[in-house]
Amino acid sequence: MNIYRGKLDATTIKRGFFSGLEVTWQLARIVVPIYFIVTFLKYTPLMNFITSIFSPLMGIFGLPGKAAIALVLGNLVNLYAAIGAMVSLSLTPKEITILGIMLSFCHSLPVETALARKIGLSPLNVILVRASLAIASGILFNLFLK
Amino acid sequence: MFFISKILKEAFLGSLSSVKQIAIIVIPIMMFLEILKDIGIIDRIAELFSPLVRVYGMKKESGFPLVIGVIIGISYGAGVIFRASKEFSLPKKDLYLVTYFLICAHAIFEDTAIIAAIGANGFLILSVRLIAAALLTYAASKWFDKKAQNEVNL
Repeated sequence: MNIYRGKLDATTIKRGFFSGLEVTWQLARIVVPIYFIVTFLKYTPLMNFITSIFSPLMGIFGLPGKAAIALVLGNLVNLYAAIGAMVSLSLTPKEITILGIMLSFCHSLPVETALARKIGLSPLNVILVRASLAIASGILFNLFLK
Repeated sequence: MFFISKILKEAFLGSLSSVKQIAIIVIPIMMFLEILKDIGIIDRIAELFSPLVRVYGMKKESGFPLVIGVIIGISYGAGVIFRASKEFSLPKKDLYLVTYFLICAHAIFEDTAIIAAIGANGFLILSVRLIAAALLTYAASKWFDKKAQNEVNL
């Protein structure tokens, strides 16, 4: 069952370039507005409030409380939204890697759960499995990453 | 007023440089993937790795949509799953297991490139994701076998 044409020519490079550009555009459309919102938020007391509320929970993963913004956006919207929050929050490389693995396992829940459901898996199962993987990997990465 | 313009400037420059940083990584990766597709390497990789799914007690043909979904993405993968399941009349168990694998690891190059572009350890994330997906699918396959056995015994 072949899917691709098995022929390399100039359109290959062009198609690759445009699909990269398409990803960048889709990403920019979400990253830029979220960056603006989070940057404004940083100068309001609301940010301190979010940080202090989520500090105990995020502490389990070695993350600052404000990282909850990236987790929530990543799960409810998509990975790009989480990226927008991550780049505007000034996190360390370790924190970015921890968030990265957690979000890799568990993101875009509305869209991807619907997809899994179409194939016949129970949405609750799918979300539980993904959330457990995210939580376990977050804890382990925090313990073992330097 | 001065303060607001300072925030706007910070957000403008910061978001622009982040997008640039990601574009520099993502565009070459997507070009590379497209080359791999067109010279048939992805097909070859899928053919090479698909027999591995027999570890899960799956049909060899189920491996193809699995590998394609892991490399290209879950929405594209889902399309291939439906096509393959029609063409080879794949069992329900296979479809479920492919989907379990894919919900843990899909579009691994694109996603990892984006996360690595902003400073994460991409190689570590990629490996952990694949290993976890393989183990989870194994556990799920055992669970399905046990369930099927119980149904026979009833």
